[in-house]
Amino acid sequence: MLTYTLRRLLGLAAVLFGVSLAVFLIMHLRPGDPALIMLGPHATDESLARLRHEMGLDLPLYVQYGRWLGNLLQGDWGRSIQLKREILPLLLQRFQATAWLTLFGALLAVVLGVSAGVLSSTRQYSLLDRSSMVGMLVGFSIPVFWLGLLLQLLLGQRLGWLPISGMQSPGSASWGDFFLHAIMPAVAVASGPGAVIARMTRSSMLDVVRQDYIRTARAKGVMERWVIYKHALKNALIPVVTVIGLQVGYLLGGEMLVEMVFNWPGIGLLMVNGILAQDFPLVQGAILVVASSYALVNLTVDLLYAYLDPRIRYQ
Amino acid sequence: MTKETQGGIAVRQRRTGSTAKWVGVLLLAAMLVGAGCTPPGAKEAPQGQSGDTAKAKTIVVGLQAEPTALDPAQVSDYNSSRATMEMYDSLLRFKDGSTELEAGLAETYNISDDGLAYTLNLRKNVKFHDGTPFNADAVIFNIERQIDDKHPYHDTGTFGYAEFTFGKVAKVEKKDDYTVVLTLKEKYAPFLANLAMHAAAMVSPEAIKKYGKDIAKNPVGTGPFKFVSWNPGVEIVVEKNPDYWRGAPKVDRIVYRPVLEDQTRLTELEAGSLDFIVNIPPDEVGRLKQDQRFTVADQPGMHIWYLVMNTQKPPFNDVRVRQAANHAVNRKAIVDNILKGTGVLAENYIPPVLWSYDTSVKAYDYDPEKAKALLQQAGVKLPLKVDFWVPSSGSGMQQPTAMAAAIQADLQKVGIEANIQTFEWGTYLDKVFAKNPADVAPLHEMSWVGDNGDPDNFLYILNSGLQWPGNGFNEAFLKDDALDKILVEAQQSNDRAKRSQLYQQAQKMVMADAPWVPIDHETQIVAMNKKITGFVLHPTGVFRFDNVDVQP
Repeated sequence: MLTYTLRRLLGLAAVLFGVSLAVFLIMHLRPGDPALIMLGPHATDESLARLRHEMGLDLPLYVQYGRWLGNLLQGDWGRSIQLKREILPLLLQRFQATAWLTLFGALLAVVLGVSAGVLSSTRQYSLLDRSSMVGMLVGFSIPVFWLGLLLQLLLGQRLGWLPISGMQSPGSASWGDFFLHAIMPAVAVASGPGAVIARMTRSSMLDVVRQDYIRTARAKGVMERWVIYKHALKNALIPVVTVIGLQVGYLLGGEMLVEMVFNWPGIGLLMVNGILAQDFPLVQGAILVVASSYALVNLTVDLLYAYLDPRIRYQ
Repeated sequence: MTKETQGGIAVRQRRTGSTAKWVGVLLLAAMLVGAGCTPPGAKEAPQGQSGDTAKAKTIVVGLQAEPTALDPAQVSDYNSSRATMEMYDSLLRFKDGSTELEAGLAETYNISDDGLAYTLNLRKNVKFHDGTPFNADAVIFNIERQIDDKHPYHDTGTFGYAEFTFGKVAKVEKKDDYTVVLTLKEKYAPFLANLAMHAAAMVSPEAIKKYGKDIAKNPVGTGPFKFVSWNPGVEIVVEKNPDYWRGAPKVDRIVYRPVLEDQTRLTELEAGSLDFIVNIPPDEVGRLKQDQRFTVADQPGMHIWYLVMNTQKPPFNDVRVRQAANHAVNRKAIVDNILKGTGVLAENYIPPVLWSYDTSVKAYDYDPEKAKALLQQAGVKLPLKVDFWVPSSGSGMQQPTAMAAAIQADLQKVGIEANIQTFEWGTYLDKVFAKNPADVAPLHEMSWVGDNGDPDNFLYILNSGLQWPGNGFNEAFLKDDALDKILVEAQQSNDRAKRSQLYQQAQKMVMADAPWVPIDHETQIVAMNKKITGFVLHPTGVFRFDNVDVQP
């Protein structure tokens, strides 16, 4: 177990190193001058040159990378060019908002997706089944930001039930207020993954329910509800759980768009603003945080997998 | 746990796998919950919020993007200037709703006969928000901080407008506590207007000494509102300055919230969570104007949008070809159909709001036949293939891709085939500001917003042969020596009437030279809840709330 863990940790380090290099190269090799964006078109050549020098842009690329990486490891993630404040505390603060939304969205996707899938499968070809199949197709196809805007218009403006944007009302510190703000973005972000999970659950359930041991359980006189939830679902969920893992990835992707539409102060919105302002230290830091958290979650799960089942190991 | 008989071992294996994944998710959840028992962002509630905020008159402004700095010397974009400028005063002041000058922190001024020495008599008994006095020392500190790289506080930020505003200043001297003399290197009439700009706003020197680089997050000025808090990406809160020298504002606080999506911002206005918004989608303006709950204010801005033709290489080095392009483009159709009232058709190279605007100058009329005739005269071989650079977005660029498509279609009808190449804004600026005309495409789009209300700010910077990229923004690389002579003469005279006359001549000349096809002047449009009264738009794009009131 120990060697496995060490090997995986080394692997993680390698992945993160690769990500940092890729991120750095993307931000620095793309055309466009951050100094020009920052100072605006009225700036003189001298002030532009001076700013480029301050930002270290006139040094060779590998030197810039080395400096950045070195500082990073010592906890100095630099200053945001655009926001003029320390990057690491800013990232950590904003990451919380994203993490909460992701969790909420993932929960919604799983709970609603699995329930819809189970209900559909037990009433195959009924009206409920067919309409929820259409619903799944729509949920999967609908663009996340369009759904977000639609929800805002309908539930926010027309009906006035929910706050339109932001994470909390000014001066409020209650969980209730937070959840009211989080519902629409979470629904938007969960629509795609939720639909996939529902379909997967449905087809997996349909498959399992035809198995011999289910017929046996029914023949033994076990209650139908018991048959479905205790026997069939547990096994049907196995392939679904694999899918859920993948879908969390998609969820994180749709998250950025949802943050833009709902002005959710998470790391996605921070990244978008940073990209538009060519604030490369900020964008580099933000991408690194997102990639690291994703890699860490995967690593944790894999380690637990290996811990619980000694047969699953590195070759 | 019931034992499964079918495929028993395999099932048990995978079941532990699924448990493992769930344990992983729960662990993550536990970590997050452990990270804080309050909801995220709860501790960011603005400080200084008094108990009776319910009675406070508040205006919530929806901005287009996050401001980058609250230090007026570092402001370079609209969002930052809108959130910043209500906390500061400049030496001179633009009158409400116009670009005429009036006294600001300098009560009176005097220009020497040789046009080089500007004596400013400063207002007495004005204090910064931190209680320190405003005086000559403060003025000298603020100016030298931006232009003197040996100033101890020169490294507290990046001053994009320092060169533009104070570039001609040779030295600043203190005569006494309330008198300052600025001496210029050469005669430069627009300098007076520069003293009303944001870079000439006065920041408390004690605050700069205290906060250093963080002055951009801790603004301290003399303005009608003072800083309360800045929660990045969420809001900036300012509250009224009861000791403001022009009289305390009626509004108690202003909250600036950046909302990226135009549609979201509009929805929030209609739902009541925003009171004042900018950048309304053009399709919605008509509907909003009809809505009784809102006031829509509009005003032609100090802005111009134009198609630039490279005058230093074929085919547009021939003035006839340029004039042909002017006749070919149906500018009115673009303004009516694409801009839908968010712009006013341009007939000149400066916006009508500037003094010296000559109403007798008219743009070339839409006449494709004349265009074809001119092309023939010029001996151009048709079809004429040219590259056309277009930005995908950009400050002041309105609807760059839609407008480009319309221009392309119009040029096509007279035999000019424009090949559109689209670039992201940052990249685009790099390309069009190339110093060598050979490196720039024959056609590209650009817009310009004035800063100081002086015609020099448009005509000289954009059209003088001395202002090619590298020195200025003459992206057409126009070189007309007669025009240059007039522009320089106007720049050096302090006689307003004479300057006006010279600029009128210049307008006629540049229209004849036709380095551009001017399309429109963007209308500044804002929408606000009817409860806000007394608001007047300002040509510089800054929002002034000091005379505004909020009805309950």
